[in-house]
Amino acid sequence: MRIHPFIIAFSCLFLSLTSSGQIHCGAVNFEPNTAITADFIFDSFSQYQAGITVNNIGTLRIRVEDQAIPDPDCRWFLTMEVNNNPGGGTAISKWETLGTYGTGTTSPDIDIMEIRVRNACQTSPIDGTFQTFTNNGDITEIIADLLPRQNAGTCTTNVNGPGNHLTNYNEYVFTIDLKINPGFAFSPGIYQLSIRFHLEEQM
Amino acid sequence: MRKSILGLSAMLAFGASSFGQLIDEKDVTVTMDLQPVLQLEMSTSNQLEFVFDEISEYYSGITLYGATILKVSSTVSWDLYAVGRSNGTNGPEFWDQQLDYGSNNTNAIDDLPLSLLEIHQNQPNNGDAAAGAAAFSDYSQPFATTGAADAGNSLYVNGGTNTPPTAADKYIAGHSGTSGTAGQDFMPGGSYLTQTGTTSDYYYALDYRILPGLPAVFPNAADADGAPFEDIATANAAGNYAEPGVYTMYVQYILLEDQ
Repeated sequence: MRIHPFIIAFSCLFLSLTSSGQIHCGAVNFEPNTAITADFIFDSFSQYQAGITVNNIGTLRIRVEDQAIPDPDCRWFLTMEVNNNPGGGTAISKWETLGTYGTGTTSPDIDIMEIRVRNACQTSPIDGTFQTFTNNGDITEIIADLLPRQNAGTCTTNVNGPGNHLTNYNEYVFTIDLKINPGFAFSPGIYQLSIRFHLEEQM
Repeated sequence: MRKSILGLSAMLAFGASSFGQLIDEKDVTVTMDLQPVLQLEMSTSNQLEFVFDEISEYYSGITLYGATILKVSSTVSWDLYAVGRSNGTNGPEFWDQQLDYGSNNTNAIDDLPLSLLEIHQNQPNNGDAAAGAAAFSDYSQPFATTGAADAGNSLYVNGGTNTPPTAADKYIAGHSGTSGTAGQDFMPGGSYLTQTGTTSDYYYALDYRILPGLPAVFPNAADADGAPFEDIATANAAGNYAEPGVYTMYVQYILLEDQ
């Protein structure tokens, strides 16, 4: 049986594509991976004026393991992405409205929320700096993709090699802080946003 | 043939499985409850007395300067107005007569209109640009000199209710309507705490005046939109006058979300 040259060429192309997507790490996990919820209640003028900051609403504890035979390309990146449930009809730059008080219809802008991640080794280039999002789907890198491998243990930036929060706490744990300052331009009501932290090994 | 196809399928399957990088995700859900806050603070006395026991006081009236200080804090767009009210003893738009002096002369009228009380606010209403139809959109004009009836400072009254004034009536700040444009018919959220000073749009000093005149008909009593006049002679008959006595009423200051 003679195989058609087109099939051979297609197979070679397919293999070349798949070879770049190999698994380099043995495990890439948040531990634990339970959802975090945060409620911000604004019921006094001073809270509207100054905003509310909640430090440590949660932590990201990371475990990245090598395979049985360690691969020097085992690296990971970490991002956060904002979501306002656009499928529910939410405008791209607004919080999702769950309910309103009174007659107002001006829902808050996404950018009134600020988020900060930090750890003791300041491994993220944005460590300690509040970040904002403008539109649904905006992504901020905490540890960027495509960086060369930086192993843990030296307490430096962009640590992205294998390790875990038990052995290198100051490099594999990120504390999350949130700040919201609504000001006076938006209608009273109950609103919601979600932030998705995405941990993935590099290709 | 079959071996070739199986081999190719295996390669395809291997290739497909190799795409799956290791990923984990974690969600933070943030709920924000923006509760409306409207705070009206009155730091001055809530009892004011006007005692008319001199002829000059009837002629020129009695004025209490800065008798009420109002401070606003609001997280929503707002309007502020004053409305005259009573217990309704003499009727919903009249002062309550607590005591009468004299012999109940038939020309002595005990129905004193609530609108005889005049108010002056220390600065103009900066949220009334859309109130073009109102003869007097606020209480910022100075008290008129005695001698000519003037409705510019007469208190808003609405049948004994606290219903908001219409586009033709007076507000202290903001006005009737929901244009959505600040300054047209509402004041934006804010506070005297951050926008300080005596000219702040969140701080109002109010003066009161009662001008009985002689005979005591209260010539400046009028509907809040300037007409008709409600002085005792106009509302009743020429020659009528206010019956001497003790009367009470109250002014209700209402801060509400723009409406």
